[in-house]
Amino acid sequence: MDSKASDGHQGAENSSPDSVARADTVSLTEINAKDATFRITTRKQFEDLLDTIQSLGLLHPPVLIENSSGYSIVCGFRRIAACRQLGWKSINARIHKAGADRFEIARLAIADNALQRPLNLVETSRALNLLADTSPDQQQFKEAALSLGLPISPSVVPKALEICRLPLPIQEGILSGTINMSMALELGEFDAAVASTLVGFFSQLKVGLNKQRELLLLLTEIAKREDISVQQLIADKPLQDILQNTVIDRAIQRQNIRSYLRQRRYPAISKAEADYQKRVRQLKLGKQIQLVPPKNFEGTTYALTLHFENRQDLSNLNKRIEKILEHPALGKILKR
Amino acid sequence: MRISKLFINQEVADHPLAQSIRARLNLPSESVQNARQVHAAIASAPDPVQSGKEILYLTRNRGAFFKRCPGTSHYTCCDYQILHIGTFCSMDCTYCILQTYFHPPILEYFVNHEDLMAELDKVLAAKTILRIGTGEFTDSLIWELWTDLSKLLIERFAAQQHAVLELKTKTTAIEKLQNLKHNRKTITAWSLNTSRIIRTEERATARLSARLKAAARCEKWGYPLAFHFDPLIIYDGCEQAYIRVIESLFSHVSAENIVWISLGALRFVPSVKTMIQKRFPDSKIVYAEFIKGPDGKMRYFKPLRINLYRKIIACIRDHAPDVTVYLCMEDDEVWQKALGFKPDDIGGLPHMLDMSAARHCNLKLGE
Repeated sequence: MDSKASDGHQGAENSSPDSVARADTVSLTEINAKDATFRITTRKQFEDLLDTIQSLGLLHPPVLIENSSGYSIVCGFRRIAACRQLGWKSINARIHKAGADRFEIARLAIADNALQRPLNLVETSRALNLLADTSPDQQQFKEAALSLGLPISPSVVPKALEICRLPLPIQEGILSGTINMSMALELGEFDAAVASTLVGFFSQLKVGLNKQRELLLLLTEIAKREDISVQQLIADKPLQDILQNTVIDRAIQRQNIRSYLRQRRYPAISKAEADYQKRVRQLKLGKQIQLVPPKNFEGTTYALTLHFENRQDLSNLNKRIEKILEHPALGKILKR
Repeated sequence: MRISKLFINQEVADHPLAQSIRARLNLPSESVQNARQVHAAIASAPDPVQSGKEILYLTRNRGAFFKRCPGTSHYTCCDYQILHIGTFCSMDCTYCILQTYFHPPILEYFVNHEDLMAELDKVLAAKTILRIGTGEFTDSLIWELWTDLSKLLIERFAAQQHAVLELKTKTTAIEKLQNLKHNRKTITAWSLNTSRIIRTEERATARLSARLKAAARCEKWGYPLAFHFDPLIIYDGCEQAYIRVIESLFSHVSAENIVWISLGALRFVPSVKTMIQKRFPDSKIVYAEFIKGPDGKMRYFKPLRINLYRKIIACIRDHAPDVTVYLCMEDDEVWQKALGFKPDDIGGLPHMLDMSAARHCNLKLGE
């Protein structure tokens, strides 16, 4: 036996799912580490465990379940990977029989993660899917989820269940904090390659959900109208020039991207807005006067807002308004 | 689009018209107590809108047969009267508002024509100038295969002198209009578009040349004509394409026999965009430059609309300087810039259309 510690559960007489497991020494070659049926954790690194395991041994033996050719892992994916890395040949483990209650085994796998630390969204999704696949009925699913600290809200569960079925680049986008559940589900409508490009695009720009939604809409609508893929659009030189310009501030980079896409999506509207802004600048309104055009230039009524503190202030503004009235730029604004 | 199933409300199961339609369709029918049962039959279909086009529901109209045109605020409406003969359409235009206007949409036809005619008699008895059409909630002529309503209506309108009936269609189902005594009180009207739009966005409708040939035949039979360029759809090369349509139009019919030509740029409630994206993923019409108007509908950015209207109107004026052209659901600014006048300058749009109807259809004014 290579391991130097056990968790002392051996021979326990309580009725917890793990109490029916037997303690045994198992060859690492008999453990199928690729079987992710019970895998909850998204952490792949195990380097942080190497020192502890090497010096103190396996304080908590992994939990395995028999399968037709050996064992699948229920708890301890990272610990087993670390033991392999350390060159161990076998480990102490707690082993469930192949016919063990899958629902109980699932709860064990989830508890091993959920009771130690908060689960991230992908882990929550894996946990819910595991429970959904093994629970005998909806009521037991709910009760188990509740006891394990998983969400049970009918508005959240169906969405959360989807997450771990999404293409990997989207899941990685969630794990890196680039996108949230809502955007992940939206990206789930795209094929994996496009989703991956979009996650990379959002990651580079570091934009929040609202801006992501706006950019996504612009990108997809331009791509559809121009009969190109979203990937082609993102790879276009003008966009790449902005994306690769590392000299400019990220906020300006984001603004330039948005502005470029908006101009490409709405050329006439963008031009009208730019013309309007140019003419307003020519009017030199100052901070005390605001000229608001009709929404989307659809109506014909403009609004002029004046900010003043006293009679003199208002009188001064009146003089400025008279000048504005004679300015040719105002005529151009109103003529449209 | 073929009708694959017939539902008949049990209240009208013995109605002679229901029996007649059933016989003409030669389809087994299912008796239902209410529309909910029909809705249930299509709600679970993968594309309920498509299913709604393949199911015909015969029932009684319990409400009014006459309705005002559902014009929206901020824009000038033509004040057309809708004669509500049925709902939805067997053709399948991507931009059709009816896809989302009814929940869910089903092809529904009212068989209580006796009530319809009684209400029509009352309306006509007022002896005021009226423009009445059946083509708002459905296409006026898709029902010709199974019913004789157009004959009934045309002959009733022929017998009075104050109102006109407009039959608006994208079909060529005009055979039954021949030899009817219409007394020029029925305007046969076609919705027109470019061949490209008809091919890509107006599925199961008649081709442009077929529509124009049908119009020419109706003119030959003495019917006054009208044309509706609605929706005008902006795409690369659309201006030249619409000009070709206009040239083709005037090569088929004479300008003097056209009561009016309407122009209306594509507009839609936001739910139609979602519907188009879902049902017609290849359609690109929703990716043009739209803004949300004050009535909540998406419209092309105003200068784009004005530009297209101007070019089309100039072309129409080249061929027919005197023909009545109007804009559907536009504001005074667009009227002024596209047509050179505002509706109020000529007494309002309804008045302008009434006068044109009176001229072309020999209506009696001022009684």
